[in-house]
Amino acid sequence: MSVKSKTVAIVNTKAPFAKTIAKEALDVALIYGSYEQETSLFFQGDGVYQLISGQQPEIINVKNFLKTFSAFEFYDLEKVYICQQSLADRNIKADFHIGNVNVITTHEFSRLLHQHDVLLTF
Amino acid sequence: MTKSLALIVTSSPTANITHTAYKLIEQAINNNITISGVFFYQDGVLNASKFLSVPSDELQLTALWKALHQEHSIPLHLCATAAEKRGLINPAEETQLLHHEFTLSGLGELVMLTSQADRLVQL
Repeated sequence: MSVKSKTVAIVNTKAPFAKTIAKEALDVALIYGSYEQETSLFFQGDGVYQLISGQQPEIINVKNFLKTFSAFEFYDLEKVYICQQSLADRNIKADFHIGNVNVITTHEFSRLLHQHDVLLTF
Repeated sequence: MTKSLALIVTSSPTANITHTAYKLIEQAINNNITISGVFFYQDGVLNASKFLSVPSDELQLTALWKALHQEHSIPLHLCATAAEKRGLINPAEETQLLHHEFTLSGLGELVMLTSQADRLVQL
């Protein structure tokens, strides 16, 4: 199906398991990706908790949807940006469960967001 | 100037921000901006429920959404998966607790709205 392409930024701001918001953001990102829209993922605030490796949500009876993150390249979701300051504020080291991510400054984060046609925040 | 606008509504009918989304559309129409569609996602799908019972002296938001569709032919899309999760449809029994002004769609429809409208606003 041919559609006019727009650049879409999905901004993730919530921790992964308290609510279903992170999963719903992922579903939206995968759809945009599969329709060949140029889609980037941004993680800031508590959203950076979605990238911590070794999480075991099965313990709290949540399906481990974070595993799907490793399929980003398959869905052409190749650009993943993480706010450095959000990591520092939470004392999280840059040891993520997926590769090919870009840890960037707040300034750069803002600059890149402004380059997108559409921002969806979850 | 924005010529056409699409909206994604993710909040429940009990949230005031959902009314803000409606007001935004109303103002856009008054300013001759085309509304290409509204997409309800997450708890936003609850706006379509027939079983909402809001006290008569309070804002009847669902009635406003329905009027928007009836008077301006604005498509009101509903994410089917989100609606199913929240008990609004039962595929096995082919029952729907939805007002007929709302259309069940997939997330692909959101991509279409994004693509077609000059601007997408999320509330």
